[in-house]
Amino acid sequence: MLGIRIKSGIAFTGAIRNAVQIFCVVLGVACFPHLVAFSQPKGDSFALNLPPGVLEPIIPEDNPLTKGKVDLGKKLFFDKRLSVDDTVSCATCHDPEKGFADGKVIAVGIQDRKGTRNSPTVLNAAFFDTQFWDGRAITLEEQAKQPVINPKEMGMSSHSALVEKISNIPDYKTSFKAVLAADQITIDHIAGAIASFERTLITFNAPFDRFIAGEKGAMSESAQRGWQLFQGKARCITCHEFNRSYPFFTDNKFHNIGVAMKGKDFESLARKAASRGANPSVLAQEEGSAELGRYVVTKEPKDIGAFKTSGLRNIALTAPFLHDGSEPTLESVVEFYNKGGIPNPNLDGGIRPLGLSEEEKNDLVAFMESLTSDDLPRLVSGHNP
Amino acid sequence: MKFINIMFACLFMSLAMFIHSAKAEDHAVSATQQAVQPSDDKAVQIVTSCDGRKKIIVEGCREGEAMPEQKARKVAELLMALMEFCELEITAKIPKTGMAVQLSVNGEPYITITDIGELPLVLVHGGKPHTEREKRIWAAEMDRMIQEGYAVFHDSALGTNGISCDMCHPDAANTHPETYPKFQTQIKKAVLLRDMINWCIENPQEGKKLAEDDPRMKALEAYILSARAGEKLEPGKH
Amino acid sequence: MSTKKEGKHKQSLYPSSAGISRREFLKTALATGVLATGAGCAIRVSTSGAQQVEIKQGTNGFTIAYISDSHLLARGKEHRFAKALIKAVEDVNNLKPQPDFVLYGGDLAQLGLREELSLGKDIIAELKPKLYMMVGEHDWYFDMGEVWKEFFGKPTYSFDHKGVHFIVLNSVVVEDYWSEAKMTPMERMLFMAQLDNPKGRPFTVGEEQRKWLSDDLSAVSKDTPIVIFSHSPLYKYYKAWNFWTDDAEDVQKLLAPFKTVTVIHGHTHQVLTNKVGNIAFHGMLSTAWPWPYAPEGIPKLTMQMDRPDPFNQFDGMGWGIIDTLPNGHVNKTYKLWERNPMFVSHEKVSTGGGFVSGHSY
Repeated sequence: MLGIRIKSGIAFTGAIRNAVQIFCVVLGVACFPHLVAFSQPKGDSFALNLPPGVLEPIIPEDNPLTKGKVDLGKKLFFDKRLSVDDTVSCATCHDPEKGFADGKVIAVGIQDRKGTRNSPTVLNAAFFDTQFWDGRAITLEEQAKQPVINPKEMGMSSHSALVEKISNIPDYKTSFKAVLAADQITIDHIAGAIASFERTLITFNAPFDRFIAGEKGAMSESAQRGWQLFQGKARCITCHEFNRSYPFFTDNKFHNIGVAMKGKDFESLARKAASRGANPSVLAQEEGSAELGRYVVTKEPKDIGAFKTSGLRNIALTAPFLHDGSEPTLESVVEFYNKGGIPNPNLDGGIRPLGLSEEEKNDLVAFMESLTSDDLPRLVSGHNP
Repeated sequence: MKFINIMFACLFMSLAMFIHSAKAEDHAVSATQQAVQPSDDKAVQIVTSCDGRKKIIVEGCREGEAMPEQKARKVAELLMALMEFCELEITAKIPKTGMAVQLSVNGEPYITITDIGELPLVLVHGGKPHTEREKRIWAAEMDRMIQEGYAVFHDSALGTNGISCDMCHPDAANTHPETYPKFQTQIKKAVLLRDMINWCIENPQEGKKLAEDDPRMKALEAYILSARAGEKLEPGKH
Repeated sequence: MSTKKEGKHKQSLYPSSAGISRREFLKTALATGVLATGAGCAIRVSTSGAQQVEIKQGTNGFTIAYISDSHLLARGKEHRFAKALIKAVEDVNNLKPQPDFVLYGGDLAQLGLREELSLGKDIIAELKPKLYMMVGEHDWYFDMGEVWKEFFGKPTYSFDHKGVHFIVLNSVVVEDYWSEAKMTPMERMLFMAQLDNPKGRPFTVGEEQRKWLSDDLSAVSKDTPIVIFSHSPLYKYYKAWNFWTDDAEDVQKLLAPFKTVTVIHGHTHQVLTNKVGNIAFHGMLSTAWPWPYAPEGIPKLTMQMDRPDPFNQFDGMGWGIIDTLPNGHVNKTYKLWERNPMFVSHEKVSTGGGFVSGHSY
């Protein structure tokens, strides 16, 4: 269905899903909700429907969630006119049909220009402490402002150029006025709307979630073994944090696992980056400096080559993997970790060879495949890219 | 425990009376004092609790006389401690001098204690204290478990890389068993001490986890807890 | 920075040729034009990891590296202790410019076995700068230093380098606890290896060595800066873990008359800074594992390193850089793996301001 692989022991069709939902409601059992309810308690304000116990994401005070913003943001997200030559929208690299990523090794923007990083998924990005692989933006709003003026992505000459372009579209002029009471559109309005839409792109209800909730048969035996390995011998959970309060599989920290250490002279790159005092977002786009990772933001030596721990929900949908897309499959990622990453002077001390057997590696892959959410078809359908 | 409140009131009033030599009168709630003059001129004062089940015979004090403050405090302390054993009828004799207090429980013969701290031992079993032999067995068995734990703690055999617990935790330093359960940042959820012990065996020591009922795990816990005896319980503390 | 040229390495316990004073050195150096140009200018020290410290390279200022407490087991180069020592060697080799020399601070082996010391010798042979060795108790008590002496020479010696008088001591001498108990060599070693051994005997420098020290110092002018390398701290921190030198006061008395004295020690596997009288004491890192701070006795001047994370096999470990200033005092930098370096200047030590003391756990 829509090119999404759902691998689990049970395939849920729409009808069965509804029956289960009614069943849950009737019994009053705390099932994970299947739908993000469009509940509107007061006026237009919009509440995210989270499973019990999951902590709310942080939403900036100056951009509260409203239905109007969500709809406007969705429109903007899919609008190619946000790029200078009308060819690239957010959805180009964050495609709903590709797990809100793009299936490419490295992102490609206007005029086939190649960037420096693998496109991360937007799904559940609302729960990150920072955005981008190097954490150079804190909020989704801040993040949205960067690709639009990135010459290798959407290529607008400046934020004001984008604002002018949008303001000259009558449809948007009306919408912004209606939704945000904005006579003058600003970049913050635009970014705020996009961010609001992105905040609704959250997924739970994967076979793993049902297993954790007590349904023993929800995950295959192999996946269950994989879950034990994940917490034990494979040492994944310490960086890919999971608990009921924060079920997103990331510690939001930055680790050097040696991904792109091949033949780079990090010392001189680092010194160059530090001395120029250049903007992190510029450094992140340059061939050499981009591999410095978190260092371009903090300029701290311990952050050289360190990248943000990505989440793992729906990971089976967003190959290829790692910040440079250098690992094509989940199997190859597991093997990468099994070998102990790539040695380099800054390799995170938590990385070490794991000694996993073939069966154990397969179990880990099965586990990760059980993290694909059943919410996705609903999120994907009804979007017209 | 609700007797405590009543008893406090009792005690305060009765102490006030003793110290100011007031005669016992019919107040709303009060302890009573009796004057009993044995024929051999050994004077005593008797303090009885409000429920009548506890009696303290204070030797060397005359009825009507103010008790010395020290003694009065001792009487009060003893009475408070005895009141915790609501069901029992206890008579205590505090001698004129010396530390030993004689207790008689439910009419049984007197036994002697030297420290109020011994009361639970004595009274929980209705006045039959534990024997010396029993106490030595407890200590020896406890010690054996702790020594087992000490040995495992100082042995690298639990792991495969030659690292033993005492390398990062000499004298069990920095183990903080009194802070468990807590959110363990390496495991990403709230866990018990034994979960962290197992994590250390699997991770820094690169060994195989112990089964939770493995005698070695139990012994390790015993040693670690004994090394931190007296620390305040603070589950969840980082 | 010259590497293997300066410094007379004394192998003897007998102070036949004393260290020359700074004044004499300068006179000679100027006369022969040995001194490098660019004296007195500030340069940025660039190390692997782009250290941000600027030091003034005066006419006699220089840098040395310090690696210590590797506790190698005879399990080949893939064992984590060996990997850590190799990492330290590589880090030092990547320093630009190279340090004048490297001091190895003791406990190269864990059980003092020939195989362990051999493995260590192989690994540190890769160091590019000149290497001086110091012994620790783990190296010594299996065979009373036989293999150590065979591989690395006498444990006690002194030498001069760029006007500073360096002394290397064997400060892990303990009273005989093994003869009466008829211990085997391994039993003797294991007794010593357990840090929290309740029957352990305190470390000392000992009478014989104190006499040697006194003689050695008698030929050194009071103005000459002195740096002492010692495995035990040469002060009293925590007896139960032998973070302790029992005759510390006697040793300190011998050093008191000198204007500028610094002790650099190992054994404690943690960041430590102390000052007693005119002597500054610097405890350096281990490459193998971190010790926790003791329940009491932490020197007030110490800014403690944060609690290491046991998930991370290098956290709380590393090596160090000692910058000897023109005035003979030292700044130190802890090259903590996985963390930003910790820099402690001599100024901070002498003014003693603004440090947090007490337990970090």
